[in-house]
Amino acid sequence: MRPQIIRGLAGQRLAGQEYTATQLAALLNQQADILRANEGGVTFSGGEPLLQAEFVAEVIDLLHRVHILLDTSGYGREQDFQKLVDRADLVFFDLKLVDRAAHQHYTGQSNDLILNNLKILSASGKPFVIRVPLVPGVTDTDENLASIARTVGGLPGLVRVDLLPYNKAAGSKYRYAGMEFKPDYDETRPLNINTMLFEQSGVKVCVA
Amino acid sequence: MNDQLEFMKKRVRAGEHHSARQAAPIDVLAECEAENLSWPRRVARLVRRQCEAEQIVIAPDEQIVFTRTLPAVPPIYNSEDWAHLTAGRTLHELGPVSNICADWSLLLSQGLLGRKQVALESREQLADDPSAVEFLDCAIETMDAVIGLATRYASRAQTMGRDDLAVILENVPALPARTFHEALQSLRLCHAVVWLGGNYHVGLGRFDQYMWPYLQADLAAGRLTSQKAEDLLAEFFISLNKDSDLYPGVQQGDNGQTLTLGGVTPTGDSAVNDLTYMVLRVAREVAMIDPKINLRISAQTDLDLLSLATELTRIGLGFPQYSNDDVVIPALVAHGYDLVDARDYVVAACWEFIIPGRGMEVVNTGAVSFPAAVDRALREGLAAKDNFDHILERVKDHVREQVNSLADAYSHLLLPPAPYYSIFMRGCLERGRDLSEGLKYNNFGIHGAGSSNAADALAAVQKFIFEEHSISAEELLSALDTDFSGREPLRRRLEEQGPKIGNNDPVADTLLVTLFDELADACEEHPRTLRGGILRPGTGSAMYYIWLARGHDGMREPVVGATADGRLQGQPFSANLAPSPGVRVRGPISTLQSFAKINYRRICNGGPITMELSDSVFRDQESVRKTAMLVRTFAQLGCQQLQLNSLSLGTLLDAKAHPENHKNLIVRVWGWSGYFCELAPEYQDHIIARHLYQTD
Repeated sequence: MRPQIIRGLAGQRLAGQEYTATQLAALLNQQADILRANEGGVTFSGGEPLLQAEFVAEVIDLLHRVHILLDTSGYGREQDFQKLVDRADLVFFDLKLVDRAAHQHYTGQSNDLILNNLKILSASGKPFVIRVPLVPGVTDTDENLASIARTVGGLPGLVRVDLLPYNKAAGSKYRYAGMEFKPDYDETRPLNINTMLFEQSGVKVCVA
Repeated sequence: MNDQLEFMKKRVRAGEHHSARQAAPIDVLAECEAENLSWPRRVARLVRRQCEAEQIVIAPDEQIVFTRTLPAVPPIYNSEDWAHLTAGRTLHELGPVSNICADWSLLLSQGLLGRKQVALESREQLADDPSAVEFLDCAIETMDAVIGLATRYASRAQTMGRDDLAVILENVPALPARTFHEALQSLRLCHAVVWLGGNYHVGLGRFDQYMWPYLQADLAAGRLTSQKAEDLLAEFFISLNKDSDLYPGVQQGDNGQTLTLGGVTPTGDSAVNDLTYMVLRVAREVAMIDPKINLRISAQTDLDLLSLATELTRIGLGFPQYSNDDVVIPALVAHGYDLVDARDYVVAACWEFIIPGRGMEVVNTGAVSFPAAVDRALREGLAAKDNFDHILERVKDHVREQVNSLADAYSHLLLPPAPYYSIFMRGCLERGRDLSEGLKYNNFGIHGAGSSNAADALAAVQKFIFEEHSISAEELLSALDTDFSGREPLRRRLEEQGPKIGNNDPVADTLLVTLFDELADACEEHPRTLRGGILRPGTGSAMYYIWLARGHDGMREPVVGATADGRLQGQPFSANLAPSPGVRVRGPISTLQSFAKINYRRICNGGPITMELSDSVFRDQESVRKTAMLVRTFAQLGCQQLQLNSLSLGTLLDAKAHPENHKNLIVRVWGWSGYFCELAPEYQDHIIARHLYQTD
């Protein structure tokens, strides 16, 4: 993982900084007391922590008793996922599309690893939240939402499902990274926020 | 808020009451000159004539009356006589006594007639002291005038068939308030008359302390329901917004109509009561710029109270501002304040800690420009091939030089008499002495401004020149002289790769602590001020974060060009305690950790850590609670003062482009909140820039 140039409204800058695990843990431990006193903790999120699982595990092992949240797309090697789940107190797990072909089409990858990691997560006994980014006409179809509800309904450890309405700021992030944003779906189409499909399966659902 | 109050607020915002304003100010000067009156008598005459000339305005739905109709405060000296009177003397800001706080409980518990009785007794005892007699006569003249004004309001109310109002106005402010309603009415009128006499930044003090007995008694006796009390309070707050466009300030909104809540009792127990909560609830409903609220907290303050306070921040009011009693009270005691007085502190117009009824302090005599002190020390020290410690010695000398120059100017301070305001101070009527001659505390405040930029500049020099030897002294000095022209890579290195305040960085933070210690040393070394006071060092910057970078007419402080932290000439400095503009920090906790290191026991003049939070952080109740925890963390870490603001970038940009759609957008500018669309463009831009850096 190397720092990347961001082209923001306030000019260009480097996003990210390189740390050793010891350096990063020392930095985070400066705030450990405050985080513990305020129901806080440390979140490892995107990018994708599974892409540097060894490093993340090393940092967590050096932290002084703080709550650890792992926020992951679930896309990573099984042994990496297991290693970080073991060290987390709570997991946020993305589930975008259950249909294998659709997942391949929109993300460029199959969802086999993700669905497999979901099983590992469920077997771990750790509490987790399923997060579904609602992309108009892509992930917000009744069909997809119903399959997600079927897939996660009844899993031990499931705290709730969070539906995350489409964020139009996504496009500006492409510009930050010097890329062009050309979605092949209609960004302006109203979202189908169908919470009923989850409630029917007895799954607690929140719209973030 | 009920429909009637909403309607009232709308009328005030639309300025409907402006139609009652008189076209021109009255003339007092002619009679002052014809009778050759002394200065105190001219001030008393001014207050009396203003009261007499006020026209009575009572809207049919009003429960609390007074609407100012006089557009201005007329002169009492012609310019020639004024020049003669003030020759060789320093006037503070506009001249009249400002930015102190009355002890309003004297008014509410004794009434003006009770105060007059005190004056009459003193007059008898001090009959041989002509200046005391003159002062007391002046004070009595103004009390009679205010009672006369209230009487005219009462008879108009009677004529209108508003017997309910007439009964109240026949009693207050002449007599002690009997109810919460009367207490609010008495305060509204007497407070407004202070402004009418030309004094400004007139604070409201510990409102939840002196008002609570009246509310508590009404609730206990069943005379008032909580709902009715909230309605009265809401109307009182709306009424405070009526005349604020007539009040002097650098920008509209900078009017110092502040009140202070919470804190401790004289014995040190929590002073929070039901009215503390009620004021916050009502201010959230009313959502106007006045009164500006300060909340005194400690590490033990209840999270529910902090969450309620956060709700005000959430809707973008720019207050409350928090002060940490755990830190402020010991600092005041260390500077010579009696413990019981220190426990009674309030926050002045911006952030300075003052004692109601007992302080005739001039809390903002000016600012030490830390960036200028550092800039000079660097130029001299690098040219002389000093080591870094010697450069720090030079900084200390330049800080001392600036402190002494400000203090020298104020050794010739001239405070105009204020016989009316004196009525509400401890001891003036008893001793026959106007407050301008001094109260129990007579200290001067000096703020250290631009501290983060200055510490960042020193840290950059320490790192790049003295430790890494990666930038040469000549290279830096020539880049500063040419405003980094053609040296953008060097500038960016200084700006982005140096140690920075706000990251809990030991190198930068140690230099920040040193700067404020040097300021405290310089203040302590200074001899007593003209009325036996001390110099109080502080951490505020007010408008100096712009003035010190760009200059301002009549300013005593030095202006500095490009600085060694990579800041270009003319760019604003950090406001109060905040990371340097444009510096990206790790987050709010590391920022608090940086500023927690300052030796606040030595720095007692106030000046908040200033943070802008995007409104997106307040999405739900859970995040409101988290923000409340951030406030609690501020107190637990031992920081002194905190100002939080909630802003959305999109809103700000749109407001600048389409002011007509955002007339009610409120932002905190420095020590005060104002309507964004009424600010000068440079202030708008600075607020937008601060927001960009923290959220992109």
